[in-house]
Amino acid sequence: MIEARDLTKVYVDSPAVDHVSFSVGEGDIVGFLGPNGAGKTTTLRMLTGFLPPTGGTAIIGTHDVWRNGKDARRILGYLPENVALYNEMRVHEYLHFRSDLEGVSGKSYANNLEYVVEKCLIQDVVTSPIGSLSKGFRQRVALAGTLIHRPQVLILDEPTVGLDPVQIIKIRSLIKELGKDHTILLSTHILPEVELVCNRVMIIDRGRILAQDTPEKLKRHLIGNPVLGITLKKPAEKAEAVLRDLPNVTKMTPGIEGEEEISFTIEAAPGHDLREILFSTAVDRGWTLLGLREESVSMEDIFLRLTTQEPVGEEREVEP
Amino acid sequence: MKAMLAVMRKELLTYFSSPLAYVILTAFLFVNGYFFSIIVAYLSQPGVPPGAPLKAFFGGSFFYWLFILLVVSALTMRLVSEERRSGTIEFLMTTPISDMEVILGKYFASLLYYIFLWSFTLIYVIIIHTHTPVELGPVFTGYLGIILHGALFLSAGIFASTFSKNQVVSAIWSFVILIFLFSVGLLVNLVPTQAWRDAVEYVTLWQQMDDFSKGIVDSRALVYSISLTVLFLFLSAQTLSVRKWR
Repeated sequence: MIEARDLTKVYVDSPAVDHVSFSVGEGDIVGFLGPNGAGKTTTLRMLTGFLPPTGGTAIIGTHDVWRNGKDARRILGYLPENVALYNEMRVHEYLHFRSDLEGVSGKSYANNLEYVVEKCLIQDVVTSPIGSLSKGFRQRVALAGTLIHRPQVLILDEPTVGLDPVQIIKIRSLIKELGKDHTILLSTHILPEVELVCNRVMIIDRGRILAQDTPEKLKRHLIGNPVLGITLKKPAEKAEAVLRDLPNVTKMTPGIEGEEEISFTIEAAPGHDLREILFSTAVDRGWTLLGLREESVSMEDIFLRLTTQEPVGEEREVEP
Repeated sequence: MKAMLAVMRKELLTYFSSPLAYVILTAFLFVNGYFFSIIVAYLSQPGVPPGAPLKAFFGGSFFYWLFILLVVSALTMRLVSEERRSGTIEFLMTTPISDMEVILGKYFASLLYYIFLWSFTLIYVIIIHTHTPVELGPVFTGYLGIILHGALFLSAGIFASTFSKNQVVSAIWSFVILIFLFSVGLLVNLVPTQAWRDAVEYVTLWQQMDDFSKGIVDSRALVYSISLTVLFLFLSAQTLSVRKWR
């Protein structure tokens, strides 16, 4: 439903987006992650037809965004990064205007209005002037405007910025729900959001896509082996040596040693689950097992690992 | 078409909800009322050759022109500039609307507001009419001239508004273009041949207005205004597209 083929944008002479290719299938919710200035917004603007690409093609549905822009934009809902609204309008006037621009009116407009007002939680402000609204309400009114024609494809640039925690949870669940019958590409730098909402992640930095996969696979690829944390009650005699010698343990690091307990971090060889053997070893040795958990790798870790990595081949040799 | 009407409605709503529109309306009525009363007072003096006050009112003074140029610049300066400054252009241009529909929607809104301003001056016609018979033909063509020139000026103003994010910059550009359109008739004394002089007279706006206020509709004046209006609207839509390539 959304496709980028070799999208490139060059400002003056430095590329902001450099041969970016990806596709978002029907019903996917894809998260677009990257630090500020990575080229996220530029890529989204090229996909929506707001910015022309220097090279490459953007496709929405089956329509080329540049050759057949009107048809592409008809099935697209785009929420830009900076929420710009007409302050002098009232919320319902604004939504009516957006709907007219999309060519939706009459009964379907009335139904859509009811739908977006309920889903975006703006019942209380429908007759208020937009200029008097708080940032959270403005964000939700903008989102309502994006959804007013019930587009098949949604491109959302940081949709939860400026919302309070309760609203964030509600908007996230709305996005998840919309994902059932919409195709969604959303950019964000709130990483847990991606894990909660998206079924695929793309990470972009300096105009290039560094990785794209499901959040789970990304973690596995990048972090490598499964890592377990074990906490034992003292005195767990010879624990360090015994754990180190267990089969398929590739790395063992002693962790915090408290007055009552001691913990270790154990990395297993790929494809091996050590939980069972750890449990039975503890039982055989007569240790009291206080905790056994899989160390979770957050999207933050992945993100940092990818975006702070020095590119291979650019390492300079140390001069003698 | 529907999207264009939506933009037009939205712009009219914006005009009537902004203080600027009311300031313009007040100033317009005040200045025109002042001109009108001076014209009437002058023509009622004994010893002054008799004349029709409405003819003098329609384009008969330099102040009329200066004021029109200011009003048009003020009406059009924010039309495109403000969309670009606030960023609303980003969602606007990603809806299925064409550049031309955006320009036309805004243009017709400003034209309607301009006509709305002038509609108040019908009161002067009524006032004169209660005291002396008024020939309605020249009044009608006078208004035709006002609307025709207004349509031209507004299209130039909206073109200027596509230049910059800054309303003041747009207003200044608009004023410059309008002054040029207005003053091109002054060249009549500088051009060498009679053929050139005829050509310049043909594009002299106060000459055209003088004809209109006498009840003469010269098709050349219509062609001139309408073709330039279309040109400016076309250029506005083009400039709006060019913005994307920067």
